[in-house]
Amino acid sequence: MQDRLGDIEKEALKGIEDSKTKEELEGLRVKYLGRKGILTGVLKGLGNLPKEERPKVGRLANEIKARIERALKERLSGLSEQKGPRVIKGFDPTLPGRSLRLGHLHPITKVMNDVCKIFEGLGFSVAQGPEIELDFYNFEALNIPPDHPARDMQDTFYVDEKVLLRTHTSPIQVRTMEKMAPPIRIIAPGKVYRCDSDVTHTPMFHQVEGLMVDKDVSFSHLKAILTYFAQEIFEKDTKVRFRPSFFPFTEPSAEIDIQCVICKGEGCRVCSQTGWLEVLGAGLVHPQVFRHVNIDPQKYSGFAFGLGIERIAMLKYGINDIRLFYDNDFRFLSQF
Amino acid sequence: MLVPYYWLKEIVPVEKDIEEVAEALTLTGLEVEGIESAFPWLDDARVIRIGKIKWIDREKYISLCTLETGKEEVQVVCGAPNVKEGMLSAFCPPGTVMPDGKEVKEATLYGATSSGMLASQMELLLEGESSGIFDISASFKDAKIGQSISELTGISDMVLEIGVTPNRPDCLSILGVARETSAIFSVPIVFKGPNAEGFKKETDFPIEIRDPELCGRYVGAIVKGVKVGPSPGWLQRRLVASGVRPINNIVDITNYVLLELGQPLHAFDLNTLKGPKIVVRTASEGEKVVTLDGKERSLHEGMLLICDEKRPVAVAGVMGGLETEVTEKTTDILIESALFTPFSIRRTAKALKLPTEASYRFERGVDPEGQKLAAIRACELVLELSGGNFLGIKDENPVPYRPSKVSFSPKRVNTLLGTDISSKRMSEILKALQFEMIEVSEDKAITIPPSFRQDVKNEEDILEEVARCYGFSKIPTSSPSATLIVERPFSQKAFFDEIKNILLGQGLTEIISYSFMSPRELSHLGLREGDERLKPVRLKNPLAEDQSIMRTNLIAPMLSTISRNQRRRNLDLSLFEIGAVFISRGEGVLPEETTRCAIAITGSRFPLSWAWPNEKVDFFDLKGIIQNLFRMLNCRSLLFEVSERPETYFEEGTQLDIKLNGKTVGNLGLISKRVLNAFDIEDKVFLSDIDMENVFDTLDRSIEFKPLDKFPSIERDLAVILDDSIRAQECLDFIEKNAPDLLTNFFIFDVYRGKQVPKGKKSMAFRFIYRAKDHTLSEEEVQRVHEPLSRAILDEFKGELRS
Repeated sequence: MQDRLGDIEKEALKGIEDSKTKEELEGLRVKYLGRKGILTGVLKGLGNLPKEERPKVGRLANEIKARIERALKERLSGLSEQKGPRVIKGFDPTLPGRSLRLGHLHPITKVMNDVCKIFEGLGFSVAQGPEIELDFYNFEALNIPPDHPARDMQDTFYVDEKVLLRTHTSPIQVRTMEKMAPPIRIIAPGKVYRCDSDVTHTPMFHQVEGLMVDKDVSFSHLKAILTYFAQEIFEKDTKVRFRPSFFPFTEPSAEIDIQCVICKGEGCRVCSQTGWLEVLGAGLVHPQVFRHVNIDPQKYSGFAFGLGIERIAMLKYGINDIRLFYDNDFRFLSQF
Repeated sequence: MLVPYYWLKEIVPVEKDIEEVAEALTLTGLEVEGIESAFPWLDDARVIRIGKIKWIDREKYISLCTLETGKEEVQVVCGAPNVKEGMLSAFCPPGTVMPDGKEVKEATLYGATSSGMLASQMELLLEGESSGIFDISASFKDAKIGQSISELTGISDMVLEIGVTPNRPDCLSILGVARETSAIFSVPIVFKGPNAEGFKKETDFPIEIRDPELCGRYVGAIVKGVKVGPSPGWLQRRLVASGVRPINNIVDITNYVLLELGQPLHAFDLNTLKGPKIVVRTASEGEKVVTLDGKERSLHEGMLLICDEKRPVAVAGVMGGLETEVTEKTTDILIESALFTPFSIRRTAKALKLPTEASYRFERGVDPEGQKLAAIRACELVLELSGGNFLGIKDENPVPYRPSKVSFSPKRVNTLLGTDISSKRMSEILKALQFEMIEVSEDKAITIPPSFRQDVKNEEDILEEVARCYGFSKIPTSSPSATLIVERPFSQKAFFDEIKNILLGQGLTEIISYSFMSPRELSHLGLREGDERLKPVRLKNPLAEDQSIMRTNLIAPMLSTISRNQRRRNLDLSLFEIGAVFISRGEGVLPEETTRCAIAITGSRFPLSWAWPNEKVDFFDLKGIIQNLFRMLNCRSLLFEVSERPETYFEEGTQLDIKLNGKTVGNLGLISKRVLNAFDIEDKVFLSDIDMENVFDTLDRSIEFKPLDKFPSIERDLAVILDDSIRAQECLDFIEKNAPDLLTNFFIFDVYRGKQVPKGKKSMAFRFIYRAKDHTLSEEEVQRVHEPLSRAILDEFKGELRS
């Protein structure tokens, strides 16, 4: 029993010495001397000791109690005597800093750069093409001949018979393959246009197109690259799902869903209760596209993918109305 | 494509939850976009007891009924003769969407509030008597008040909403979706089709196909003595659940078979066909036909028509004609089941702006072997549901279907997928999809796709079939090993990013505005005639007039953005945009597309704060931004020059041209009052417009290190009172030209007008910094060169020394 009392005292005195605030000190007082305190407990339990030990232990406990009380008092006055920081007349360091006005990059540019950076790290280089395109590059060379129902998949703005506003960044694939021989690895960001306008569509938006052409490029490689991308741009543990789809210029074609970033796959309004969000379209380059640019499909293969930047920006930043991007309200822009 | 689940299960009896089937379909390429109730009106309609009835007009059977719904009491106005107090009936509360698409609303009828409606079996598309409201007590002994009608009748189903991609027209039918389901779950299809034995009889009905390249097959079947009337409830329900409006039993049957088999059909009233005869031919320009929707259609040359002996009776594959439609008086019918060439139907439907369920399927391609089966299936249903006698069938087939073989290499399939699937497994996958396997080895396999899979023509199509059925999730994920690529495509993105970052660092915010603009916006700038920016690219199909041309400059979009922001009290703006502008070069060729940069500042110079003075931005803030921009780009040849031919949108005398290597790449100035008014902007706007491609081409970027000075410098100041008309640049140029060797730097450090300086004059103060490379300068040395320089300046500009 005596040993135990000794330990309690040691521990208590150490705590008091190390304490930094009055609140901490009060806590220690309650811990040891309060109504349910450790030392109080010992004193209350005296009755359980053999009769002969009671006076001795009782005296010791009371002595310790007195010593702790004294230490508390001393430490308290020590803490109170500490002076506040020096005050210099006429100098108030708590005033806000003299910060200059900051500039902001448009959120679309930010996300576009994030996307490009991920692929540039994988050895893809940026390629570009015109926003007003020839029908040939936008459709025909991508295996979408005139009168093909796939033209309905994209509502097109036309300038005349041959000229249109590109509906996707895919023509850059064709333009690049016309100029370069494989191996090719490009990433092509840019504006695209479709005649559609509501809460989820603006007639102008941004896409990033990717293309890799080499010997023996496979669907398995496409899966690896795009899974890596999705987990880089969203979170490392994002679940990714590939499902069959259709694009005339790839076969097989896939749509890539990520687990909903809002509900984590539980099902919510954003993912229409499915738990999944579609973020990418992809596939193996269709041999017909290769033939258009004189690349031998028996010798080379490749994959292409495309994604909408607005959608990713909306998911990443929680933006609920796509039209905000092009309204350019400074209260919106200054948040990025 | 809407697929009622029970209908699907009737053809492929898969014993799975609908969610499981939906997910499996989605993961093999038929994306299920939603699962909805098939008969929502039966879910919403409830069993109620009619309480008190108050007659409004006894002769017309108009009554005001109080209904016990199990929760609260509701009042509705009813027009049925069979209402009785205590009767159980069906009540559709407000919000119920009825099969005809109309929503039940609370209304005031005969001066009373009617909160919903009592419905008949017919209105609910239920089988049974329809002479009044649904008498539930008569047919359902254990009906409970408050119960939904779907629960009461046991009629309820779900509908799969499937997004069918354009390459899979075979899945635009219940049978098609059933075939996929069958392949996925290995459940055989039980749909055997009609009993063809009973429909073998041929007729000699004349069918003449004049354009076999547009119509490869035309099957006509004749049934006489039909009784036209409403279809039975089950059929109507299936149509409504599939998104098709019921009309009468004959038309409904053609639609039913279209949904079931994917083959569009049309029924003609045989007795209205002249001849009677069918001629399939193309239209001549201006030929007219009134379609089923009552509209007269003026046709173009080349559109495919179905005609009788005299006149067009249908726009082939798009819509039937009004004059030959099946009506209640019809007794004899001709059922058309044809094969039309996709592009022709697509062009016609587009030109007439008349997309229909039929044209949708024809333009994507129907099963070339499906016409006869569909015609017989329709006849079978007609005999069953409307009576009559089958007279015979005529199959005019000038271009018979020839199956084609597709060969592929299982080895190549594995290489391209990155898999190790045996050729046996591939063969199993294809067989489950009803492909016929002719030959199978690891190196080569030959298959014949079924006739309904017109999309499968080549090895890559087989690859896709194998991949999707094998399962994308089972294809392994492996990193490619790739060649390092040294040759890169040309791109200015990195350069523009650098510029964006420099501007960002100067407190400017990036905007991205639409590439479209309004002609009015363009005219606000008041550009001179002949300015190329007045040659915009015009859209043929703009969304709106104010987005009908492509922007030829970034100035107008920038001013519109500032105006919009100022209206929302965002008054202090420093903005820039880098983007493409377009100048038309005529029809059929791409416009000139160049990237420009617009920078604009307006409002306060500093954020409102205790720490900064409250000042407005001015011209020199903008000029400083431009100077810094090119300095950060390590450009050594930047010059500003007063414009000789200023832009119309700048205030006169405020414009400077930006020159690199003597080439003008842009300008800056104060936007004129007139233009600000046009854009409805209140505050001053300073704007710079730069041709980025020109900068990219002209920019001379170099950093050359200069050794640090070893010896101290000596400074001399000179304040000169000059005529106000003398520009700083003239002075600086003069000093530059006459600079002695020892002068290492000089700049203007003060400009002053006002007290102590006479009117029309200004004081300009220069600082000169002298330094020698090899020794410490003495005062005398400096004096020897500074004095003559000072004198020269005073002489040149007729200035006076300011004391």
